[in-house]
Amino acid sequence: MTSTSSTTTPLLELRGLTVRYGGRSGLLAVDGVDLSLRAGETLGLAGESGCGKSTLAMSVLRLLPKSAQIEGEILLDGEDITQMSFGRLRTVRWASASVVFQGAMHALNPVKRIGEQIAEPIRLHGTVPAGHVKSRVRELLEQVELPVARADAYPHELSGGQKQRVMIAMALACEPRLVIADEPTTALDVIVQAQVLALLSRLVADHGIGLIMISHDLSVLGATCARLAVMYAGKLVEEGPSRQVIGEPKHEHTKALAAAFPTIGDPSSRYAPATSSELGLPGAPEPVAEGVEPLLRTDNLRVTFTGRGQTTEAVKGVDLEVYPGEIVALVGQSGSGKTTLARTILGLQKPTSGQVLFEGKALPHSARALRAYRRKVQLVLQDPTSALNPRHTVYEAIAEGLRIHKLPGDERELVAQALEAAELRPPERFMTVLPHELSGGQRQRVVIAGALALAPTLLVADEPVASLDASVRGEILALLLRLRASLGLAALVITHDLGLAWNIADRVAVMYKGELVEVGTVAEVLRDPKHEYTKQLLAALPDGTALPAGEVTA
Amino acid sequence: MSDEGVSLKTLSPRALAWQRRGRAAAAAWREFSSSKSGLVGLGVLVLAVLLALLAPVLSNEDGLDVTKATGGRMRPPDGNFWLGTDVDGRSILLLTWWGTRVSLLIGISAALLSVVIGTVIGIIAAHYGRWVSAVLLRIVDFFLVLPSLVLAIALSTVLEPGIGTIIVAIGLTSWPSAARLVRAQTLTVEARPYIERSRALGGGNLHIIVKHVLPAVLPLVFVNATLAVGNAIVAESTLAFLGLGDPFQTSWGGILHNATVDSAALAGAWWYLLPPGVAIGVVVLAFTLCGRALETVLNPRLREPR
Amino acid sequence: MPSPRRGGGTARYLLTKLGGAVISLFMVVVLGFILFRVMPGDPVKTMTRGHPVTNEQLAILEHRYGLDKPKIAQFWDYLVKLLHGDFGDSYQYSRPVGDMILEKLWPTVLLVGTGTILAVALGLWLGTRAAWQRNSVFDKASTGIALAFWSMPTFWLGMILLTAAGGLFPSGGMVYPDTPPDFLSQALDILHHLVLPVITLVAVVYAQYQLVMRSSLLEEMDADYLTTARAKGLRDDLVRRRHAVPNALLPTVTLVFLHLGMVVAGAITVEAVFSWPGLGQMTYNAIGVPDLPVLQGTFIVLAAAVLVMNLIADVLYRFLDPRVRAV
Repeated sequence: MTSTSSTTTPLLELRGLTVRYGGRSGLLAVDGVDLSLRAGETLGLAGESGCGKSTLAMSVLRLLPKSAQIEGEILLDGEDITQMSFGRLRTVRWASASVVFQGAMHALNPVKRIGEQIAEPIRLHGTVPAGHVKSRVRELLEQVELPVARADAYPHELSGGQKQRVMIAMALACEPRLVIADEPTTALDVIVQAQVLALLSRLVADHGIGLIMISHDLSVLGATCARLAVMYAGKLVEEGPSRQVIGEPKHEHTKALAAAFPTIGDPSSRYAPATSSELGLPGAPEPVAEGVEPLLRTDNLRVTFTGRGQTTEAVKGVDLEVYPGEIVALVGQSGSGKTTLARTILGLQKPTSGQVLFEGKALPHSARALRAYRRKVQLVLQDPTSALNPRHTVYEAIAEGLRIHKLPGDERELVAQALEAAELRPPERFMTVLPHELSGGQRQRVVIAGALALAPTLLVADEPVASLDASVRGEILALLLRLRASLGLAALVITHDLGLAWNIADRVAVMYKGELVEVGTVAEVLRDPKHEYTKQLLAALPDGTALPAGEVTA
Repeated sequence: MSDEGVSLKTLSPRALAWQRRGRAAAAAWREFSSSKSGLVGLGVLVLAVLLALLAPVLSNEDGLDVTKATGGRMRPPDGNFWLGTDVDGRSILLLTWWGTRVSLLIGISAALLSVVIGTVIGIIAAHYGRWVSAVLLRIVDFFLVLPSLVLAIALSTVLEPGIGTIIVAIGLTSWPSAARLVRAQTLTVEARPYIERSRALGGGNLHIIVKHVLPAVLPLVFVNATLAVGNAIVAESTLAFLGLGDPFQTSWGGILHNATVDSAALAGAWWYLLPPGVAIGVVVLAFTLCGRALETVLNPRLREPR
Repeated sequence: MPSPRRGGGTARYLLTKLGGAVISLFMVVVLGFILFRVMPGDPVKTMTRGHPVTNEQLAILEHRYGLDKPKIAQFWDYLVKLLHGDFGDSYQYSRPVGDMILEKLWPTVLLVGTGTILAVALGLWLGTRAAWQRNSVFDKASTGIALAFWSMPTFWLGMILLTAAGGLFPSGGMVYPDTPPDFLSQALDILHHLVLPVITLVAVVYAQYQLVMRSSLLEEMDADYLTTARAKGLRDDLVRRRHAVPNALLPTVTLVFLHLGMVVAGAITVEAVFSWPGLGQMTYNAIGVPDLPVLQGTFIVLAAAVLVMNLIADVLYRFLDPRVRAV
């Protein structure tokens, strides 16, 4: 395909774009952004949630809600979108520029077959003669490597990766010259994410399409886009070639974003959250001594679910050990059984066979003994927003455990100590506050404080930073490392993120289809993987986030 | 973030909790009072309740007694009887006024009964999974599709007539929708990670139901109860109209029953029909408007964009 | 993600639903027995309430209705008879209740059917328009009017209509006795008689369909797939018609059937007010006696009818919503 536009006019140009919600004094979402993209170019737009990157993307096709006010110019092929009549705008939409939306689950109409949904814009814009629509849909499905027969499927019958492929096929349907991809791989597993990114890159390059890709993940953008722009609080703070932006970030915020996705294998990013923080790491982690009894041990643990006439083996004979004062990362993709394993360890799920041993003793069955056990093993959940009852103040949230266990001592004193331990200072200021008045990082600290109030010896953390912004992520990981150092707290950290394991863990256990396929020290497993699946996981990481094995010697 | 930390030293945890509830209530009232129709509804309800309570003070109960009636037979409104008289010469105004007492009493009691049954069954069905839930759901679904009026007619036919019977008949037949609603809400609440956190902290079933589920479900229950009162008042009037009411008490439905027996519609005695019917319509509408405004307080999605 | 096997799933789904419906029907039958044979304590006393009777008369009556046998034996008799379509004899008319129900069935079906169809059509249309023009005068006015009608007792509205428009329409019944027996004249006369009862029924019932349609459309309005549709360049009315309405319709369809019981309740009082010769009027006439076999018969028939309609709704829903099909 050849480019028809002159080389002088950019495909897309934003001049002083400002978007504001709810009137003159309203929220400023995008603040005077200048940006341009030439035909066939790829640009990554990075930033944390709420920085205005999605608003900017949606403004290109004027898809913002009515309360949004746009100032400045949005020139698509030299024509200002903001001045277009509604009729003209409709012909431009999808035919000139299309969108791959975030979360394909919701962006596809649940009650229509995907073939119909792909064909809809083709018919509407008359891209091909009416008789050829079916063959065009077939062609598109082939391009995104989906079986043609899937045209008759409904969205819920497809996997996440397949749905995202449908979204891509749909975006290409009318042969647009610009595609905007809004977090196209956020909900996908590493391996699927790598496949979808590769597909998108290939199609965009083959067809000479200009691509704007939006993500909070610098490594994803670096792997796909030639240029990177970083947004912060509605403003463009940094722009340049991808390698340069990721390799030598200039703006403070870009540095935080880059640090959140450590280079696996690079010794400088081991324990980086704590060592790079000004609070520092009080004492380096000590290697686990030989011959110490494990704090927690699972013995051939199996969990089987039965429902609707089917049995699913979520956990298939897992032997896992966590030693006192040790951080173990349990790495696996969604559906690998890692969350079921964590719930079983906490006694929230009954094992089908095998047992969990804590301090050498099997997990009790009686409600009372189980309660005593739960004092010592505490849980930190993924999303602190939903892990706190929105009606309870911080004080009540932290005191809940104390009240359940009727711990001796002055309640307020204990709550204050827990807040102090979670570095929420001064404690008095936080007690009367409701969760929604706190930031995401502060909320996660409250959850951690609630766990610390019971003086546990083991913390089970299920994706403790997955829902947090990059800059907060480091703080929370540093807190975990410091708690380990100061309180001798052991932790089992469940994550899908190999980078996180490299960041804080001493040992890694890789889980795949209910089994532990590889267990060892972080250096062994991540730098010299033995199992095929671990190798796949590492290979699927976007370029530049994993050093080839053996390249660096620790 | 607030600066109330200073006063913290002087407040007990219990006082803190009440302070928080007070703030939440104030916020809810602010949201409610932004709804004009909700305020109108509330005003009407306050007026209706006051009239019902003050009826014995402000009027003479003797006017309800057939033997002591002073008016003519089914006379249109005049200076003495502002809303005319019934077939026995009693004042329709007085009858409608006193009818407020029985109609509100039955409406509120029956709604409370149905909402309490619905809440208990709904929470149990959602909290305890497996067969308890399966059996309860079967029962709830059964009663949900069963024509409730037919069941209420059956109940009030076979039981001794009286206010208690009507309350039971309405309460026992209208709980399933509350149960469904509470069950759905309980399921949503229990799917939240803070329930998992509470379990991991060592909380048992009772702790979770009392500390997390009930406070989250009660506002919804309150809304449902408000809407249910309206339905119960209509149900009461229907049963009374069908002749299943308490013959010795004056209710709005009862007046309309008498009007039917006396063929008021064919006689063109509109003053006999209008006042009790309008009273039902206005009070039920007031409960509905209040309920809808409360619903908006609970569910921000229903709010109008500003 | 395993691909759903459609054929086996459907058969299993239908069997589960059918099984559930059969259990529910049995529960109706049991409830009918408990309500009318066990709860009254002494049906004969209820029957003769307010009449002077001697003990011998009571004993004769008890024997005639089989009430002197133990309850279990009574239940067995009742069950066997029901299975043969025998609902017992009316106390009032001494006729088989089954025959009476058959006679009165079709007027009720006509009234409820016409009323439901009109109410659903009106409610869906108004609800859709109100949701599109959210907060407009139309939205506020139509919602207000719907709520006002919804707050009125059905029978009262009927009485008021009868008083106000009594001259234009017949005051009761289904046909005048002197109407010529040919089809057209009969049909027109029935239609003439049907107008007021149907208006009454529709006025009270349509509000819930309107409100449900309105709120489920509003729920869909923020859905991401509508942004997709708009991004594709669809006109706003196409976005609504092709994408939003089909999704919003699904919860409404369930509600239509779930609320059928309420329409039936409304029909009972409407029939009573307009002397419409259906099951409702029969019930009304039986209450005063009280004619327990008639009440029992109408209870079982009406409840069973609503249960069966809901079974149909479940099956229908499975073919309407692809998501349910996969489960």
